[in-house]
Amino acid sequence: MAFAAFATAEALPQAPKRRSRIALFLLLPGILYLVLFFLTPLVSLVLTSLQAPSEFGDIGQYDYAFNWQNYVAVVEAYLPHILRSFGYALVATVLALLFSYPLAYFIGVKARRWPLLQSLMLVLVIAPFFISFLLRTLAWKQILSDESFIITSLKALSLMAPDGHFTGTPFAVIFGLTYNFIPFMTLPLYSTLERLDTRYLEAGSDLYANAFTVFRKITIPLSMPGIVAGTLLTFIPAAGDYINASRDFLGGPDTQMMGNVIEANFLVLQNYPAAAALSIILMAVILVFVGVYVKRSGTEDLL
Amino acid sequence: MVVREFAERGADLELVGIQKRFPGFTAIESLDLTIPAGSFFALLGPSGCGKTTTLRLVAGLEEPTQGRILIGGKDVTATKSHQRPVNTVFQSYALFPHMTVLENVAFGLKRRRIGDPLGKAHEALRLVELDHLAQRRPQQLSGGQQQRVALARAIVNRPALLLLDEPLGALDLKLRRQMQLELKSIQEEVGLTFLHVTHDQEEAMTMADTVAVMNKGAIEQMGAPEVLYELPRTTFVANFLGQSNLFTGAVVATTGAAITVEAGGSRIVVPTARAQRHQGEVTVGVRPEKVVLHLEEPTATPDRNLLGPGRIIDVSFSGVSTQYIIETPGLGTVLVFAQNVGMGPAAAVGDEVWVSWDVEHGFGLDDDPAEAGRFPADASTRSIAVQQREALVTELEEN
Amino acid sequence: MEFPVTARPLPEDPMIRSLIASARRAQLNRRALLAGAGAGASALALAACSTGSGEARPSAAADKSSSDKTLNWANWAAYIDEDDAGNYPTLVAFTEETGISVNYEVAVDDNNTYYGKVKDQLALGQDIGADTVCLTDWMVSRWIRLGYTQELDHDNIPNLSNLTPSLREPDFDPGRAHSIPWQGGFAGIAWNKEAIPGGLESVSDLWDSSLKGRVGVLSEMRDTMGCIMLDNGVDISGDWGDEEYSASIEILREQVESGQVRNIKGNSYLEDLKSEDTLAAIVWSGDITVLNAEAGDKWEFAIPSAGGTLWNDNFLVPIGSPRKTNAETLINYYYEPEVAAEVAAWVNFITPVVGAKEAAIAIDPELAENQLIFPNEQTLSTAHIFRSLSGAEEQKYQAEFQSILLGA
Repeated sequence: MAFAAFATAEALPQAPKRRSRIALFLLLPGILYLVLFFLTPLVSLVLTSLQAPSEFGDIGQYDYAFNWQNYVAVVEAYLPHILRSFGYALVATVLALLFSYPLAYFIGVKARRWPLLQSLMLVLVIAPFFISFLLRTLAWKQILSDESFIITSLKALSLMAPDGHFTGTPFAVIFGLTYNFIPFMTLPLYSTLERLDTRYLEAGSDLYANAFTVFRKITIPLSMPGIVAGTLLTFIPAAGDYINASRDFLGGPDTQMMGNVIEANFLVLQNYPAAAALSIILMAVILVFVGVYVKRSGTEDLL
Repeated sequence: MVVREFAERGADLELVGIQKRFPGFTAIESLDLTIPAGSFFALLGPSGCGKTTTLRLVAGLEEPTQGRILIGGKDVTATKSHQRPVNTVFQSYALFPHMTVLENVAFGLKRRRIGDPLGKAHEALRLVELDHLAQRRPQQLSGGQQQRVALARAIVNRPALLLLDEPLGALDLKLRRQMQLELKSIQEEVGLTFLHVTHDQEEAMTMADTVAVMNKGAIEQMGAPEVLYELPRTTFVANFLGQSNLFTGAVVATTGAAITVEAGGSRIVVPTARAQRHQGEVTVGVRPEKVVLHLEEPTATPDRNLLGPGRIIDVSFSGVSTQYIIETPGLGTVLVFAQNVGMGPAAAVGDEVWVSWDVEHGFGLDDDPAEAGRFPADASTRSIAVQQREALVTELEEN
Repeated sequence: MEFPVTARPLPEDPMIRSLIASARRAQLNRRALLAGAGAGASALALAACSTGSGEARPSAAADKSSSDKTLNWANWAAYIDEDDAGNYPTLVAFTEETGISVNYEVAVDDNNTYYGKVKDQLALGQDIGADTVCLTDWMVSRWIRLGYTQELDHDNIPNLSNLTPSLREPDFDPGRAHSIPWQGGFAGIAWNKEAIPGGLESVSDLWDSSLKGRVGVLSEMRDTMGCIMLDNGVDISGDWGDEEYSASIEILREQVESGQVRNIKGNSYLEDLKSEDTLAAIVWSGDITVLNAEAGDKWEFAIPSAGGTLWNDNFLVPIGSPRKTNAETLINYYYEPEVAAEVAAWVNFITPVVGAKEAAIAIDPELAENQLIFPNEQTLSTAHIFRSLSGAEEQKYQAEFQSILLGA
């Protein structure tokens, strides 16, 4: 058949580009920056995490050592907090995704015909950023305090136990995390969905896929870069967050996350090795998680 | 109501009183169209004429404002796209970038839960000779390959009706010719009904059994390509489908067999059967390749129309033929395509020539010449090019 | 949650002491090299993050006060008299009187946070940007212990004779060689008068089941534990140990785990009182006076029947400050009874200056009668100072306290 005639016209891999000294030279400031502001603190953190208490030292005095038991000790002491951090962050990320996706889809796809509405909604998504994160969280704490209108109404409607609380509960912390990080989910989702070529959706519908299947088999996979970016931008800071879970904000003694433990160890207990070891554990778990996640989500082609 | 079986054969497509309005404009005024089962039907027209909208209405991607759509006698107007026994080869191909070629082709089969989807997908890929690239991603393929994958993805479903939306537009000329032949042979092989939307008149004529020329949301003329070409009924068709020499004048004599039109002092005879209007001001015409160039004044005969003398103002050689533009006093320019039967052009710019054609080759149009100026801006790119060239030549001569 | 406790007892013999110290230094170098991974970056890291070991004490900076008539004072928010224009009238007067211009900075919002910010510079004997800082007793105790303060020249502070006698010999700074009180306060109990019309008397009243989930305590270990220990019959100024501490912390643990105590906070506890998430709590006296003035006369403060804690924030001069004499001049100024009264009338905390009460009568006689600002002997006898803790004790008791705050 005639097809054979043009079957050879395949995409060829690009020839490797010639290395340029100038390019390397231009990279230098970036590398220096990374060494100075990323590598240095990292090395410092690792060294601190291995310190041992000074033999005759006072509180907060440690010496460089190879005291790897610090890691065992913090895991033993704070395993519930470690699990809680990732648990809360996961739930908050899933909730943020569930709230954000329809919103981002509406702004990015459905509202394309009305650019004014699109911009207005984007502004509304970003608007909370204009007010300090702390103030917003404190405002929620007030809005949902025991004697607030919302809580007393819920109690009056028997939707909440008469002696129930909102602040200081895991629910409050997850609520805070979800609320505070939702824009970080919505914006990457929006930027992917905004570029979503609806012709693919029409093609799917043309190929006998109903609306749900089109969404599942085409829209979701094509918006995967946004989902991955959004979930990472939400999950990573949420796992390390210490504001929402803090007792001063939405948390209570039984909702403390790793960030709070690190803060207490660093500031109050002056136990710098424990704080450093926890930070490294947090970082390592997140790195592993991100690695596996990016690999499993199969977005290499789309990223 | 997903169609779970392959169509046994192509189905009729019937559009009844279709109207489609978008906010701010009407894409289709009123459209009635019947495409018989098993035919290769081409909708031909310039961009913005409503042909793609028509196709999208049939595919279920748009809803008509009014009218009904029937496929195989069944009213599908209210059904969703995925419920219609129709598949589309999109202009952009719309191959899913996150799936392999094989997954793309098997997509529709899986949705309909047809047995052995991968086996059938491989079969379809073999048909378009791309089975060896089944595991590639679409973006790793060339344009021609992507086009064939899009075709395989559509025909593997054996739809009652296959819609082709300018699928060859992105290909280069040689590839396009090959694909045209290929599409035609596949259509004959699988026996489906093809509805092909294109703005390329050659493509439409090569491939289709029936061509409908669309303009401004309505069908101007419909028929077999050769009928449309030999006997255009409107100025738009005469100019959009190939090129034409058109002359407007009053009917000065009528016999049972022919009418005589006087235009710019010359008399042009057109057989009554080939003229749409027989009195008053009419436009008549002849295709440029039917016109013969004479370097000396020939003897007038009743079976040939003779115009001249005129002067050649442009000659352009295009291999198989040579195109002459002749300025004829009172009649404007006349275009002549002469086969290169000899060696090189037979005449040069500035030569005084006469042109003649067989009376039987002329045609009379249906348009009211008072509105004749209606379409020039819409004419095909080729006629626009000719017009521009004429304008340029005139300008040069004046200087 | 058990952590290796920092300090081990120091051998008595100075020779053995120095031998061990030098042996440890050698060891440190080897370990540091091993861990340092030879990266150039690690050198920077080491410099940036020296948590310091016990023996190298920084030395005091040379005093340039005679030529440099400026002073940087780091203090807590709302802790000095302030007029509507945002000026500090007593400071303005000080500058007029002495020619020393003062840069008053609200730089301390928490003892620990402030310490975390400046400790590395202190360990190196550098100027931390403040020539005097007001910090709480226990934190001052740590600074003195670590040699982060300069010794004050009492000849420059003749008004020190006005210091309340009971504050002259704290266990962490006998004779006040390094620190001088600025303001003080009580930690006691407070309640919402509308919700609890009957009032509260003791810390144990906070554990009443009718208040479940609406009780707050302070995240400041000494105030919360001090009140509970007093309630438990412990003399917190006296010679108590692990046993007494453990018994009391178990009470707190039980109340937190059962949900009786929901809020454990620092300064932000006031928000909970306002929003009524907290109806009764262990609080600081001065705050309740301010809160009542701000948000309606809704709360009442009391020193618990078993006693409350008394704390002071103290001036100290950081080791790296080159303006010690200027700082001493400032301290001396604030120990004039009239000046102290002016400040006390504004900040609502206890002034340590004898004679300030008499001076306050001239400003506002009613104010002078306020036991929370000018406590009499009887009131003072119910308030106790939490004894100083050694580094090891500090770490151990804080760890236990934090384990409750952090939950499981």
